[in-house]
Amino acid sequence: MLSVARRIPTWLLPLIAAVIVIAFPYLGAQSPVQRQVILICSLALLVSGLNLSLGYAGELALGQAAIYACGAYMTGYLGSHGYTDIVLQLACAIAAALVIGLVTGIPGLRLGGWALAMVSFFLVLLVPDILQLFANQTGGAQGLTGIASPSLLGKTLTPNGFYVFATTVTALWLLVLRNLVTSRHGTAFRVLRENPVLASSVGISVFRMKLSAYAIGAVPAGIAGCIFANLDQYLSPDSFGFALAVSILAASVLGGSASIYGAVVGAVILTLGPLESTSFQQYSLVVYGLLLLVGGIVLSIGIAGVLQRVWARVQRRWLPPARSAPYEGDLLPRTAGTALSVDHLVKSFGGVNALQDVSLVAQPGQVTALIGPNGSGKTTLLNLICGYYRIDGGTISVGKEQTTHRPYRIARSGVARTFQTPSIPREITVAEAVRAGRYATQRAGFVPAVLRLPSYRRARASDVEEARRVLALVGLADQENEIAASMPLGTRRLLEVARCVIARPKVLLLDEPASGLDENEVERLAGLIRKISDSGGTVVLVEHNFRLVLSVADQIYVLARGQIIAEGPPSVIEVHPEVLTEYLGVRVPEADDLLRTPSEVADND
Amino acid sequence: MDAVWSGLALGAVYALVALGYHIVFVSSNAFNFAHAQLIMLGTFIVYWGSVTLKLPIGLVFLLAAAIVGGVAVLEERTAIRIVRGTEGQLVTTLGFATLLNGATQVIWGGSPLQVPFFGSSNVLVVLGGHVFPDDLILMGVAVVLTIGFVLVSRMTVLGIALLAVSEDREAALMRGINVRALGIGAFAVSGIVAGLLGPLIGPKTFAVATLGSDLALKGFVAMAIGGFGSAPGALIGGFAVGLIESEAGRYLGASYSNLMIFAVLLGVLLLRPTGLFGHARERMV
Repeated sequence: MLSVARRIPTWLLPLIAAVIVIAFPYLGAQSPVQRQVILICSLALLVSGLNLSLGYAGELALGQAAIYACGAYMTGYLGSHGYTDIVLQLACAIAAALVIGLVTGIPGLRLGGWALAMVSFFLVLLVPDILQLFANQTGGAQGLTGIASPSLLGKTLTPNGFYVFATTVTALWLLVLRNLVTSRHGTAFRVLRENPVLASSVGISVFRMKLSAYAIGAVPAGIAGCIFANLDQYLSPDSFGFALAVSILAASVLGGSASIYGAVVGAVILTLGPLESTSFQQYSLVVYGLLLLVGGIVLSIGIAGVLQRVWARVQRRWLPPARSAPYEGDLLPRTAGTALSVDHLVKSFGGVNALQDVSLVAQPGQVTALIGPNGSGKTTLLNLICGYYRIDGGTISVGKEQTTHRPYRIARSGVARTFQTPSIPREITVAEAVRAGRYATQRAGFVPAVLRLPSYRRARASDVEEARRVLALVGLADQENEIAASMPLGTRRLLEVARCVIARPKVLLLDEPASGLDENEVERLAGLIRKISDSGGTVVLVEHNFRLVLSVADQIYVLARGQIIAEGPPSVIEVHPEVLTEYLGVRVPEADDLLRTPSEVADND
Repeated sequence: MDAVWSGLALGAVYALVALGYHIVFVSSNAFNFAHAQLIMLGTFIVYWGSVTLKLPIGLVFLLAAAIVGGVAVLEERTAIRIVRGTEGQLVTTLGFATLLNGATQVIWGGSPLQVPFFGSSNVLVVLGGHVFPDDLILMGVAVVLTIGFVLVSRMTVLGIALLAVSEDREAALMRGINVRALGIGAFAVSGIVAGLLGPLIGPKTFAVATLGSDLALKGFVAMAIGGFGSAPGALIGGFAVGLIESEAGRYLGASYSNLMIFAVLLGVLLLRPTGLFGHARERMV
């Protein structure tokens, strides 16, 4: 019984629901009901577009209403000039929506946050002005009339036919959205939302990814516009104002902005709820406002989010996902490491010279450790290597290539890193979090993912296989289906290492991987670092745990006050008098004692 | 010159909105979407006090300051304090703004209400242009408030504490700065100022429920032009937006003025995202 339940695919229920809704006219639904359903469809499309940017990419955009107007007027113009073919209208509406999405998305996204919210909100307020400017084509404030009935393949659509078309297109869009967000791109969106710095460290271009989300989110608004224009065959600027913009946001927050079907839930409630009755009309803004306020505070995940969590709990309790078989095969094939060289690097913040003339080389097959007291510039150096800061002087090269200042480019050229505080997106599993590391190195486009083409399936299969390999390598194979962010610190650190290793990096940067780990975990970590370097990888280790550094490093550089004060193999550094005073704050004889006791220098900065 | 004066007077209103955003942004790192709605509420309270209740002007000022200040504090408690993260606060402050839009519409209706000016309404001729005394006062208030805010933030311990909070909230907390009190204080001050501005702004803009959205956008553009996090930038940005609006309206037609402002906003965001007076900060890991 349970095994049968487990085998029911998750798409079956939505599919059945969609088929029933599409078949409504043949089940006896009259035109008022059909009209309501079509309105729900338009709103759901608008909300799903907003969800892509708000729920998945983490950017609030209010411009859906304006893009909707653009799609609607495009369709209305075509319809009133004899181009009644609905497929043509749909294509033109989508194209116009995409153009508006890109033109307003680029400047808004440069700043992100409220800049995008305001630019897109401004767009909504401009709608009546723009319509007035083109009053000859749009009818201006009087509205656009004379839109002919839509046709399909040369035949005029009956009301039932139009209903079926509208609901089918909506269902197809939801399918596209589902395929997109359940693919690796969906994980990439979540990584982006969690932490843009993390996103660029796995090679995701933050700007392009946000723009993609925003521009793709314009598509359903165009579709909704096309449907709306053909529904009443009359358009007026009043339909696209501030109230609509706010109701889209309210439906999104209510239904759950990070879910596929939340858009439908929110749209159903807002369309069928009491708001539409005339006695409530004047209170609608008050109610929308309260919905946003309460939704933002209490229901941060929306109704669909709550249902999703309940379902996830049920699944974990009664329908645990099948564990994949133990990985058999080479856990760590030869890694093609590349030398990392830093030459005369200079960086200052205001008057503080964070790094002065720092040079070092990390060779493939070796562990190069970087130690030094807090504030000596270790993390600054890593951030410069990753391109998060601009270099003030000197160069950084991976192999023969000099690095740029674009973090995602550097990540794509083969530099992977972990963070002092592990950065793990919420609500994704351990295996998904690890697979995110392959996003940039093994590319696969949006279109193959949406259409589930063979190339997507192949990439997906190799993602899954590689994740099993690296999880087995770091010893987390048992936890692959757990929620990643709920794992203990030690596991999350190993998870970060796995996310780096899966990209087969040319250079691996580890930023204090041992801090907060217990002794067993440190030992496991040491073994792992050795394995990676033995297989040919270039490892740069920034660490305060002196014991760990001495045990795994081949070459140690000591930073103090932004300068390299010593370098050499562990045997040299261990007894280097200047290092002992600077770093351990003791004189030589005391240092011997210190190294013999288990108390470590285990502070974090 | 008439158009310049009317542009500068409008600009002063936008600058005051931008300054309100700025005060809250600096002290609680939040963007208060609803600040323009607070100013709008101020104009309605003034209408209510002076036309409906026929109170003396001193009491009208007090009433507006008390009510708008109270609403601002209420907003801080409901839409900022208990909400984590920028997106969440964007949604809740937008919700609060919508709530104020809706509530004023339900209470006072949708049509514009004329708010009487307490002083003289005789047109003056200054530098060859016609200008109302109210307009001159607005410009003066905008300049004085900006200078005052800059002085407070540069010269006093309070200002340094504000700077510390906007740089790093947690570090400021560790230093014994009462971050919560500063946050709620900033909302209270911005609300009280918004209320006090009601008797000045109301006669110029009328009390109308769509005022909030319009002011919110123009105030935002003012901030974007001037540079986020710069009080003088907000002032100059506000005047710039006002001038663009009135000149575009004069030479191109009324329906072009918003479009021109939008075009300038896009230009600024594309060419100089930090604005004229803002400066970029490097990202931290």
